[in-house]
Amino acid sequence: MKTIFSIAATTVGEAIRRKVLLVILLIGLLFLVVAPALNILTARQERTVLVGLTLGVIQLTSALIAIMLTVYMVPNEIERRTIYTILSKPVQRWQFLVGKYLGAVAALGMMIGFMTIVLLITFALSQNERHLANLAPLIKAPVMNFFQMSLLSAVALMFSTFVSPLVNIFLSSGIYMLGTLFSPLFQTLVEAPSVNNVTKLFARIIHFVLPNFSNFNVQNPLINPGQVLVDERLYFITTIGYAFLYIGILLVTAVLIFDRREV
Amino acid sequence: MAEFGWVWLKGTEGNQSDGRDSQAPSKSSNPQPYPAAPYRYTSPRIHTAPCTGTLLGGAPTLGAAIETRKLTKSYKRPGGVTNVVDGIDLHVEEGEIFGFLGPNGAGKTTTIKILLGIIYQTAGEAFVLDKEVGDTAIHHLISYLPEKPYYYEHMTGMEILKFYASLFGIKDEAKCQSLLEKVNLASDGHKTISQYSKGMQQRIGLAQSLLNDPKLLFLDEPTGGLDPIAHIEIRDLILQFREEGKTVFISSHELSDVERICDRVAIINKGKIEKQGRLEDLLAGGRYEITADVSEDFSSKIKEADTHVSWKNGRLIVDMPDSISPNAIVEGVLGAKGSILSVIPRRKRLEDLFVETVRNVQP
Repeated sequence: MKTIFSIAATTVGEAIRRKVLLVILLIGLLFLVVAPALNILTARQERTVLVGLTLGVIQLTSALIAIMLTVYMVPNEIERRTIYTILSKPVQRWQFLVGKYLGAVAALGMMIGFMTIVLLITFALSQNERHLANLAPLIKAPVMNFFQMSLLSAVALMFSTFVSPLVNIFLSSGIYMLGTLFSPLFQTLVEAPSVNNVTKLFARIIHFVLPNFSNFNVQNPLINPGQVLVDERLYFITTIGYAFLYIGILLVTAVLIFDRREV
Repeated sequence: MAEFGWVWLKGTEGNQSDGRDSQAPSKSSNPQPYPAAPYRYTSPRIHTAPCTGTLLGGAPTLGAAIETRKLTKSYKRPGGVTNVVDGIDLHVEEGEIFGFLGPNGAGKTTTIKILLGIIYQTAGEAFVLDKEVGDTAIHHLISYLPEKPYYYEHMTGMEILKFYASLFGIKDEAKCQSLLEKVNLASDGHKTISQYSKGMQQRIGLAQSLLNDPKLLFLDEPTGGLDPIAHIEIRDLILQFREEGKTVFISSHELSDVERICDRVAIINKGKIEKQGRLEDLLAGGRYEITADVSEDFSSKIKEADTHVSWKNGRLIVDMPDSISPNAIVEGVLGAKGSILSVIPRRKRLEDLFVETVRNVQP
């Protein structure tokens, strides 16, 4: 475990110094700070718009960070030959890969955490919400967003063991978009009487294989107070469990591929 | 008394012979018109234990730090299968500095990567410290310094050492400090790698490769691109490793370094080992230049094969292969009441051997 944590700690150190990630984070933070001013562009309820906008900014920013952070992680180690000095030590390939992943997730967590703090400050100042009880529900969305991005990082890491970073950016982004948008579409497809059975079967396979990123989007009850989750606790536990299971499968797949790969 | 070249050893003839003397033509088989000479050739090189390895298959040879048998690495390319490493048999003894030479793309780094277990061979066997490659247990006993290594630039020299030490489960900060001192970075341990010069980065690389006190070091171009001072420092460190009993496997294009520090070398070209052996043996075939003050009619008595005789400023100059003992000519000169002014061995250089080997193989 010590080996994995050493690799993870080094990965965090590298990640939080990568300029491209810091620029993305900075832009995200800037949007969070100026979001209250954008309310004048809409006629809807000010708080509703602000919640939707800021949580959307966090989701988009963290998705960009997750992809840009993970797709280059292993290829960079190979290109710069750092991997040779590590793998020539008593380090197994799976330890290296898991260490890199945990480092990426930790860095991602720090960045999402930072955005969440800025989000809370923005709400406290612009909405005059000084009581923690009013602000606390907002934290649920970034927490679930963190698990969503951890899953996205695992997808990108798995692809990074056998495709180039550029291809990986498109693949991971594509899967993230499909995984976010396909679930609502799937319900429509399955319930529509005009769609034939082959298409429905195909849709079911895609729905089963693709990671369901839309499960992690819990903004709706925050934006529309009328919508509530029947059993919020159970929903959160099962969704986080789903993330762990899927991440586990993706990491095992990545290790199996990486173990056979010539670096 | 000089340790290298020709020295006069009066009265010692016959009771101190080395391999070179024994290869010289004997008087009985090749009668010479000159009397025996009271001198012999002494080698400047410290001889290591002779190679005892055999390549018979099965278990690795005892005492071998590295052994490969018909090691092959193939890649599928558009034109067919290419053997990057083509059935090589390497044998590196424990405690020696072994030079692994070859032009770019010859298969040196691929071979090292196979020996480190970073990539896998297509065919053949490879053993490192008596264990088959791929066994990570041997990684506790070996280390690797890659060509142009990169270290995390945000970390300080000390942090880099602590990071690599943690991969061995070593928590000894004093050890990291002593290694910084060993590579002359004690006062720079707090600086980040981005502040290090190329030579300093190479030295921190060597320091990280010594964390586990390895028995075997793989060094890929350890002096490549360094300034002369850094170059000498790294070379001296490598010589120090031998004194500490470590085996060093060096891949380098710096042939003068290899010639100076290596005990044995192998030259690989297009994936095949073209030459392998002790430097003395591989560089045999040099020449002697004898300058003598003797009467002109003496030259007609010189009958050795491949021997060139010329006169310069009234002095006789004999250029002859070192496979023939120059004793006879020296004795002849002395017998003719002449005097020997110099006997200079002109050794074949590794660069000559390398160029000759590689050019002979090129299509």
